[in-house]
Amino acid sequence: MSDTEHKLIGTLKQQLAEKTIGRRDFLRFATLLGLGAPAAYEFANRIDGGIAPAAYADDLPKGGIIRIAQRVPKLDSPHTFSWIYDSNCVRQVCGYLTRTGADNITRPDLASSWEVSDDLKTWTFHMNPKATWHKGGAFTAEHAAWNIKHCLDPAVGSSVIGLMKGYMLKDVDTGKLDDKGAKVMSTELWDANAIEVKDPSTLVLHLQEPQVAVPEHFFHYPFLMLDPAENGVFAMGSNGTGSFEMTVLEVGRKCEFKRIADRPGQVDELHFVDLGDNPSAVAAALASKQVDGIFQGNIEQYDIYKGMAHTDIHSIVTAQTAVARMRSDSKPFDNPAVRKAVRLATDCEKTLQIAHKGVGSAAEHHHVAPVHPDYFKLPPMPRDVEGAKKLLADAGFKDGIDIEINCKPDPSWEQAAVEAMAEQWKEAGIRAKINVLPSNKFWEVWETVPFGFTEWTHRPLGFMVLALAYRTDVPWNESAYSNKEFDDLLTKAEGTVDVKARSEILGKLEKIMQEDGPIAQPLWRSVFAAYDKRVKGFNIHPTLYIFGEDLAIEKA
Amino acid sequence: MLAIAARRLVSMLLIMFVISVLLFLFFEGDKLNLAARVLGPYSPMTGRLAWLEHNGYNRPLMTRYLTWIYGFMRGDWNQSAQFDAPVFDFLLPRLKNTAILGACVFVLTVAISLVLGVFSGIAEASKRDRAITVISVLTTSVPEFASATFLVAIFVYWLDWLPGSSSFNNGFSWREMILPVATLVIYNFGYYTRMTRASMAEVMNSQYIRTAVLKGLPYRQVIIRHALRNALIAPFTVMILQLNYLLSGVVVTEVFFAYDGYGKALYDAAMFGDVYLILAGAMIAVVAAVVSQFISDVGYTQLNPRIRFS
Repeated sequence: MSDTEHKLIGTLKQQLAEKTIGRRDFLRFATLLGLGAPAAYEFANRIDGGIAPAAYADDLPKGGIIRIAQRVPKLDSPHTFSWIYDSNCVRQVCGYLTRTGADNITRPDLASSWEVSDDLKTWTFHMNPKATWHKGGAFTAEHAAWNIKHCLDPAVGSSVIGLMKGYMLKDVDTGKLDDKGAKVMSTELWDANAIEVKDPSTLVLHLQEPQVAVPEHFFHYPFLMLDPAENGVFAMGSNGTGSFEMTVLEVGRKCEFKRIADRPGQVDELHFVDLGDNPSAVAAALASKQVDGIFQGNIEQYDIYKGMAHTDIHSIVTAQTAVARMRSDSKPFDNPAVRKAVRLATDCEKTLQIAHKGVGSAAEHHHVAPVHPDYFKLPPMPRDVEGAKKLLADAGFKDGIDIEINCKPDPSWEQAAVEAMAEQWKEAGIRAKINVLPSNKFWEVWETVPFGFTEWTHRPLGFMVLALAYRTDVPWNESAYSNKEFDDLLTKAEGTVDVKARSEILGKLEKIMQEDGPIAQPLWRSVFAAYDKRVKGFNIHPTLYIFGEDLAIEKA
Repeated sequence: MLAIAARRLVSMLLIMFVISVLLFLFFEGDKLNLAARVLGPYSPMTGRLAWLEHNGYNRPLMTRYLTWIYGFMRGDWNQSAQFDAPVFDFLLPRLKNTAILGACVFVLTVAISLVLGVFSGIAEASKRDRAITVISVLTTSVPEFASATFLVAIFVYWLDWLPGSSSFNNGFSWREMILPVATLVIYNFGYYTRMTRASMAEVMNSQYIRTAVLKGLPYRQVIIRHALRNALIAPFTVMILQLNYLLSGVVVTEVFFAYDGYGKALYDAAMFGDVYLILAGAMIAVVAAVVSQFISDVGYTQLNPRIRFS
């Protein structure tokens, strides 16, 4: 492909030199556009004199077994994975095309480099020539293309569809009707040649809309690169490109991996131990050294983990959150004034203290986090009980409103947050009855209940969640929110590479969310995990991914 | 005796039939959600409908039920959707684990409560009796999850003597059994102690015991040879009923200590809506309940010749 870099990289370099964007944002977007990370770091260092991250693989102890307490669910269909912990298991065996690190920078993995056309519609990925399968043979563009097609196949039901629908798929009427008489819609590739294998090491994607985050989308957790011969099924003895092979799998109990000699990594074996739903058992297991680390700590046990002398707590600020989401097609939430009143009646800082022990930061009701590079800082929207009451009175609810909010008890902070907010809303005349549903039941109705507290996980870019949740008619639009001005601004943002210009568009989107939007959002949470001090090389990822080849463990 | 056994068997089969029908009907309405949980919350409707079709969930209810009953009797208990394994192969090790836990708890509870109950029963209203009664009431009124938390706080966090979870990752380990067994024994023994005490006290007040004492028999012999075997009749029957509780009632302790037993399996299956696993579990629970009641009843008539089945 071309030897020159994307023309917008020049713009980014200019902006970095003029200090209109920060170093971190430059690194993120330059690498997304195909500039290699070392080159990006070199350039950034020359501008601002920073230091590139040091390589330290040689200092790590070799050998040993690491045991991590994490749920082990069914692993047979990786492309439909819904949780992070299932992907953590298969991740040790199979790889992804790219990797978005804890610093939100996307680096090559099975794809060694990429370029994008000026209009952001043609993406060319080069496969890593050193990537090989366990059972022999190189990893080729054919394999990558098969995996992408499999993930986008409506029969498979992967969440990748929701991510890539806008630029890779079109809606198609199957001609069937469901049991309520509505048409059953499906999707297919917008163009038969949208995924093109130019040669065994080059994959070209032709998009129907400009999109800047394609490499980041390739790191979505179900997007594992599987062996096409296995037809999307993962089991004992499955082929992979990673450092480990699976030796034991007992769903609900444990999953064990052994490192293949000569593949990158330090430990001999990696074990995942499933201790069930109960976070106390996990904490107790770490305390009595039955495991060397845990997948995620529950905020209620934060003090217990702090008190353990032989472990370190690793925490990271994330864009993980939960939103009190109102359906705009259900009374009384169809009135935007009522929705704004709920926001005004919420004390975000207090909710953060009560529900999450202050571990995190207060949110601003628009679902774009300060950690996002394209975040735009609006003037603060403090709690205003009188304002809320006035809005309700003007909307015709002089005596306030009686509503019901649904939440789940696991993780425990969600219920605590709902209870705190319900108390705050009472002062403005918003009397909310709390309906706690068991987790499984909650996930059945999360989209359809009129008022629910839904958790959303971390995404690296500000507009990604806005596109997944608030664009008209997308699958995860749980609030039935539909605002043409919002949709148009969003499309504009998705096609804008210039970080500063994009964050200004996002500022407008954030304002719409605060005035008219369907959510009240109290906090962003920092997540934490705890590992034995003997474990080296662990860097907590905002989405809690675990990379076995980075880990090492000292002898006891 | 045989007639009684036969009658009990028939009623047990009837109960199993009714419960299985009810469960089938109940989860029939839930099967679309089961598909959603298996395939993930993002799976499209088309995928879920296809999964139901492929796994035979769309056949008429009668057909599915009869197929299941036929398979169940032959040992084919169908497939668990949640754990992706045949139900029989999945449940067997879980039952074994709960059986081990139950056996340890049973032996210890019986030993402790008999000893304490007898000691307090023979010396009614003494300081010893009062002390044992107070301890029994206290321990019974603290629920398992509370006492489990206390034990873990003391022995795992503070003293660091015992492991905090009991999932047998390195094979069977007695050390991992200590805390779950302790939790259950502490919770259970109080009730049986007081039952034994009441029964013992009543026997000690009867005429024949007074006669034996007046006859000049040593006190120890009076207790061991005459009082004990009459006093133990009522506690015995109640303790056999404990077997039923030890199968299904220990779920709180099992989940707390991540102990992979039958109760935890049923809890996970119920949360997930895993029909065939729940059905198998329910059938086992019914059998356990009926068999333990039968043993208890028959045992009582054998021990106490004054009672007959009429």
